Amino acid sequence: MNYGNLFKYWRTVLVVAEMSLRTQFSDAFVLFAIVFQPMIIAILALFMLRDKGGDYAMFVVIGSGLTGLWSSLLFVSGNSINVERWTGTLESLVGMPTPFDVIVFGKNLANVFQSLLSMVVSYALAAALFGYSLTLTQPLLFFATLLISMFAFICFGLTIAPVFVMYRSIQQWQNAMEFPVYILCGFLFPIALLPDWTTPVSYLLPPYWAAIALHGTSTADMPFPQIAFSWGMMILFSIVDLVIASQLFRIMLYKARVDATLDVD
Amino acid sequence: MNTIIKNTRLFWQGTLLSYRALFAWLRPVTYMASKIIMPLAQMFFFVFLGTYASGGKNASFFVIGNAIQITSISGIFGVTMSVGGDRDAGTLPYLFGTPANRFMIFFGRAFMHVIDGAIGVVIALTWGVLLMGLDLSRTDMPALGLTILITTFSTCGLGLLMGCLSLLTANVMFVNNFVYFSLLIFSGANVAIESLPAWMQVVSNILPLTRGIAASRALVGGASLNDILPLLITELGIGLIYGFVGYVLFAWFETQAKQRGTLETV
Amino acid sequence: MNAIEVEHLRRVYRAQIGVFNRSIKEVVAVDDISFDVKQGELFGLLGPNGAGKTTTIKMLTTLLIPTGGSASIAGFDAVKQATDVRRRIGFIFGGERGLYWRLSGDDNLRYFASLYGVDPAVSKKRIPYLMELVGLKGRGNERVGGYSRGMKQRLHVARTLLHDPDILFLDEPTIGLDPVGAREFRSVILNLQSQKKTILLTTHYMFEADALSDRIAIINKGCVIALDTPGGLKQHVSDLSVVEVETFGTSEEALGKLRKLPFVDALSVEDREQKQMLLIQTTRGAEAVPDVMNALEGQRVGSVIVREPTLEDAYVRLVGGAA
Repeated sequence: MNYGNLFKYWRTVLVVAEMSLRTQFSDAFVLFAIVFQPMIIAILALFMLRDKGGDYAMFVVIGSGLTGLWSSLLFVSGNSINVERWTGTLESLVGMPTPFDVIVFGKNLANVFQSLLSMVVSYALAAALFGYSLTLTQPLLFFATLLISMFAFICFGLTIAPVFVMYRSIQQWQNAMEFPVYILCGFLFPIALLPDWTTPVSYLLPPYWAAIALHGTSTADMPFPQIAFSWGMMILFSIVDLVIASQLFRIMLYKARVDATLDVD
Repeated sequence: MNTIIKNTRLFWQGTLLSYRALFAWLRPVTYMASKIIMPLAQMFFFVFLGTYASGGKNASFFVIGNAIQITSISGIFGVTMSVGGDRDAGTLPYLFGTPANRFMIFFGRAFMHVIDGAIGVVIALTWGVLLMGLDLSRTDMPALGLTILITTFSTCGLGLLMGCLSLLTANVMFVNNFVYFSLLIFSGANVAIESLPAWMQVVSNILPLTRGIAASRALVGGASLNDILPLLITELGIGLIYGFVGYVLFAWFETQAKQRGTLETV
Repeated sequence: MNAIEVEHLRRVYRAQIGVFNRSIKEVVAVDDISFDVKQGELFGLLGPNGAGKTTTIKMLTTLLIPTGGSASIAGFDAVKQATDVRRRIGFIFGGERGLYWRLSGDDNLRYFASLYGVDPAVSKKRIPYLMELVGLKGRGNERVGGYSRGMKQRLHVARTLLHDPDILFLDEPTIGLDPVGAREFRSVILNLQSQKKTILLTTHYMFEADALSDRIAIINKGCVIALDTPGGLKQHVSDLSVVEVETFGTSEEALGKLRKLPFVDALSVEDREQKQMLLIQTTRGAEAVPDVMNALEGQRVGSVIVREPTLEDAYVRLVGGAA
């Protein structure tokens, strides 16, 4: 995307996000992905890590929140364009003067924002059910990290959706992509446990940098240069993702208008 | 005698048809992804999480638990879609319009998923041996095979019950996902049952899978078939109860639907 | 400058058939279509199913890329300057899809207004005005999922007017509406016409095209086969009259007799509940009536009317009975 567009169309982005929230909040699938699944993972992890002591509760809260964020990005944002096609609204959206990637950016903003509920639910669970007292070690830096992470997730999602539209053969692997990212990004255990050859793959995934910095600022006293480095990586990936996404959207829309696939029939 | 042959054929037809219909829709690649890669990734996740929590020596506890848990993909998602699929395809009225033996139709739908689920577990255990250091040298393999079959069968019993419930609710996938993920907690695949709160242990004990996982762990640890026989018998009984309740519900559902004329709309 | 200029537009679909031996089949949806629409004109596009009407409209609304030829909308090229075109047009593809059913009517409009880049202050005033224009006043807070089909289609009209476009494309806007709904819909279209909007309309209903259009292009098999005013098109059949005979259970034998009469050009039978309506096209006008009545001797006959040919009669002759 031409990110100048984000400044030009910021109001549109917000309206799109508001409407997406309203349509999705009653959707059982979305609710499962952002509330129930992370909640169950949090319960499991809290039981499993119980022997490690209360310090790990905050780690679990952040980690299971991140699993909700990724699952929602993979399934909800990943299918966001296909869903518009099934409801017959894709043609109207493409036929608008607002660039289509700006619209999808707004939808992803809504997804990522509502996925924060995963963390809230996990937090409530750990506090209420397990009775842990939970505090953030570096609250200000944590929330700054959270904002940057959200942006990185949105941009990452922007590259996934057009790929799923254009390449059905990749979309078929959607189910198989959920847990590997939980593993490779160190959401609930450090990637030091993994074989060495997977480390470069982790480095290439924006959620990895989000997890590092979010864990670091919530459960440890991460030195600022390290935090800043994670921020830098996330911003770098966001910029790269936006560039890739703009190309993907251009190709996808041109292809759809040549192949007549904007509508299902 | 004739009736037996007729019903056997009915059973097989239902079995093959439902299975083929399901996977014609899913395609081979998706099947591979959902059968081989997804279980592997999920196993890895919980094994890593488990060893992170309690050290590497416990790996086989999580490997076995999660490998057996794989059976619930077929048992719950597969069976539910076979039973509920008729509603989505609009073929339910035709099915209820036939004089065919309901019992055979109903259980025919689950049978192939028992086989499919058992294969899934074998694949998962193979991953465990190849990649996660699972040691089966002291294991009574035929007994493990029997355990896998019985556990898969009882999980499919639960699936049959849920398939019938799915005829009543619009959010089938929501319920399925919920039960599937809940089993990860209650079955003891990842958390030792004894360490759960008392009320959760009660739930664990009335669900399928729990005893199957316990029996498998015992067998891998060197126990004999005799040692685990009580577990297997109870597991089998639990599966039969769920399947039977599902069947009663299925029959009730048919009568209700016919009385109220809601076959098309439900 | 014309509002719409279409030159030698062509569109070929490539469809893959077969899963294993993949062969590609080409279907020519639009072969060679040219026409101009003047500013403020209501231009009708008629043709049987599969004639290429919807494909043409999708190319003009920038949603499909033509295989050949060109189209310019308000002076902008529909392919190269798609964004400029999109700012100036509104479009409806008949039916009730294409709205967010979980949102209210007002929210749908607010959403689309922001995508059209309408200033929030402007859309705040414009949305109630449009809801009133399309007869949905007071229903804006309800979820669209609960609207009737006609209400949804009228909401589509409001949606397409949000940015006050100069040019409107309406593809089968009245399809599936009951007669009352369709009549209300036509009054909305007439209202737009009075606001000097340029409108390109496709429809299945001949009387609708006749009543609304300034000019009509009839297309068949992807080509324009006639382009004229409704009156001009009717000239094609000005030599004909139509004798309409209301009957009750006419025998096949009697119909055979009628067909054999030398002055009967065409005979069609429409069933209307217990009655049947015989439509006889003839060059002899009222003089044909006595012979027709003779042929129908012994049958129960109701009213008999001799009327001028309609657009539909002209259409049937031009398309060759395809409709």
